[in-house]
Amino acid sequence: MIKQDFVALAPYLAVAGGIVLLMLLVSFWRSVRVMLTMTVVVLLVSLGLVGVGIGNPPHLISGFLLIDGYAALFNALFIIAAIVTALLAYGYMRGRGGEQEEFYLLLVLATLGAMTMAAAHHFAAVLLGLEILSISLYVLIGYSEEGHPPLEAALKYLVLSGVASTTMLFGMALIYNATGTLVFSELGSTDFAVPRDELYYLAGQGLLFAGIAFKLSLVPFHMWTPDVYQGAPAPVTGFLATVSKGAVFAFVLRYALITDVLAIPVMSTVLLVFAVLSMLGGNLLALLQNNVKRLLAYSSIAHIGYLLIALLAVGVLADSLIAVEASIVYLVGYFLMTLAAFGVVTVLSSSSMEVDAESIDAYTGLFWRRPLCAVIMTTALLSLTGIPLTVGFVAKFYLIATGAEGGMWLLLWALVVGSAIAVYYYMRVIFVMVQKGGGDSYTHPSVKVEGMAVLVVIGLSLILFGVYPSPLIDFVRSSIGIAGG
Amino acid sequence: MEVVLFYIAASIALTTSILVITRTTASHALIYLIVSLLAVAVIFYLLGAPFAAALEVVIYAGAIMVLFLFVVMMLNLGPSQVAQERRWLEPRMWIGPSILTLILFFEMVYILAGTPALTSGVAVSAKEVGERLFTTYLLGVELAGFLLLAALVGSYHLGRRYMRARREEIG
Repeated sequence: MIKQDFVALAPYLAVAGGIVLLMLLVSFWRSVRVMLTMTVVVLLVSLGLVGVGIGNPPHLISGFLLIDGYAALFNALFIIAAIVTALLAYGYMRGRGGEQEEFYLLLVLATLGAMTMAAAHHFAAVLLGLEILSISLYVLIGYSEEGHPPLEAALKYLVLSGVASTTMLFGMALIYNATGTLVFSELGSTDFAVPRDELYYLAGQGLLFAGIAFKLSLVPFHMWTPDVYQGAPAPVTGFLATVSKGAVFAFVLRYALITDVLAIPVMSTVLLVFAVLSMLGGNLLALLQNNVKRLLAYSSIAHIGYLLIALLAVGVLADSLIAVEASIVYLVGYFLMTLAAFGVVTVLSSSSMEVDAESIDAYTGLFWRRPLCAVIMTTALLSLTGIPLTVGFVAKFYLIATGAEGGMWLLLWALVVGSAIAVYYYMRVIFVMVQKGGGDSYTHPSVKVEGMAVLVVIGLSLILFGVYPSPLIDFVRSSIGIAGG
Repeated sequence: MEVVLFYIAASIALTTSILVITRTTASHALIYLIVSLLAVAVIFYLLGAPFAAALEVVIYAGAIMVLFLFVVMMLNLGPSQVAQERRWLEPRMWIGPSILTLILFFEMVYILAGTPALTSGVAVSAKEVGERLFTTYLLGVELAGFLLLAALVGSYHLGRRYMRARREEIG
């Protein structure tokens, strides 16, 4: 380890040191308020360090982690999502008995795992990051101390995610068997090039991508998603839908960029099938949902399906940085609108209630009872639909432009059809919210100031980046090194 | 000759793994699991990884035994279950695992008595593993520490609920 290593690792060291600090804090002085403050401070320090280091040249640390603008952008996204989750969770868990402090410790640990995946340049780093993230999530999903649904969801996620991790690990082992290396750049270089049709190599890639498809909940591997999203506490669901998927996507995109794995026809065909199935399947399955959390779960399946267009473009486009730019812009939009939608569910729920505010009845006439919540939810849903003047439109526009440049017409048709179906179920929630009357039987918990403040900020940024996206786009372009940004 | 040794160990590992998932009682399955792990340890040794082989025996076979003991202790067995336990562990049960373990034992004696027999041709000593872990893979070791911390905090939180429920049940 040399000085430059420490400088490049500064955001990681801040989070890791923060974890130790929070752990000691929880052992000696239990106070939710102090814990929340410290969590936010630690994450903000790390975010600041990410911002400071964003212009530095790429730095590879012993072939293990590659710290560059790409990793920094993803890290910033994960840290922001973690801050939002921490603030939302505080109001959600208020008034509940039991120990709440570990929630924040696990949340920061999960963020560290996600950040590791974003910079991973070695299969061992991928696996360690993934497991830190997943193990923290198992507990976060089953965090509530009362009731069956969280534990059921946690157990489902534990078993299925464990199997998926094992599948990925076995795939990595087979790839190592075929090539003799675990480092991405060596996998991509011609010195290590193996006959690409070698059986072990292909079987390894296949198993690896099956595990990834599970973690991203792409359609043939999506069965767990609605149950886990419904059972998990609402703030955790938001974190699960954004950071967990974002981290896996950050790894896949980097892996595809460096090793050029999508140049293998079989792999890109399989991913194409996953993408089309996810776009159509996710949206069709969401149509009949009366549960808002399940509806958003299916919608997130469809959205990751859209995102695969950018991933597949890596194998098609000559300049793969365009695909990276599209992916990151899309993910920024996806993070914001998903966090906003689950955020509204969170502020309308409380962990002392039997279930979260997830039935669509809880939203009947919401506009007349909680106008601000309803407005933010409407914005988030419009953005998820991809209506102009929201960030969702900019994000989808980017995907379509990338897809058109790569001539991926089948995928674009699937995107258009999927989005058309999606209008129906997003609009249904909006119509229900503006209906007069109804919902009187439903009592919402009292207003949570910090939760609402966060939501207002996200809601405004949804519109702001939709109306005036150029600062965001310029920032992304300059960070990943597109000239003239 | 090494290849024959490998195939014997590999077939024992496969057979016992299948037996693990087909046994109906947990204790029988566990004994086969230990034999399976011992067979994998022999394979590691043949591959030239004596350190990994030792870890396989110490951590997997050893730790899983201890874990199983803990589970049995926490289950609070009554007299009827003790009788049932005794039935599970009757001598007939031990024949299969003993034979397989004996085969592995003779393999080990053969390997240790002769010149180092390796399928890969290169042996990696524990020192080399240690050097690698604390230079190239230092970050990995640190991250593994955080992985364990996450597991520790998580199991503490989930276990506390269980312990509290138990306490309420008792008094």
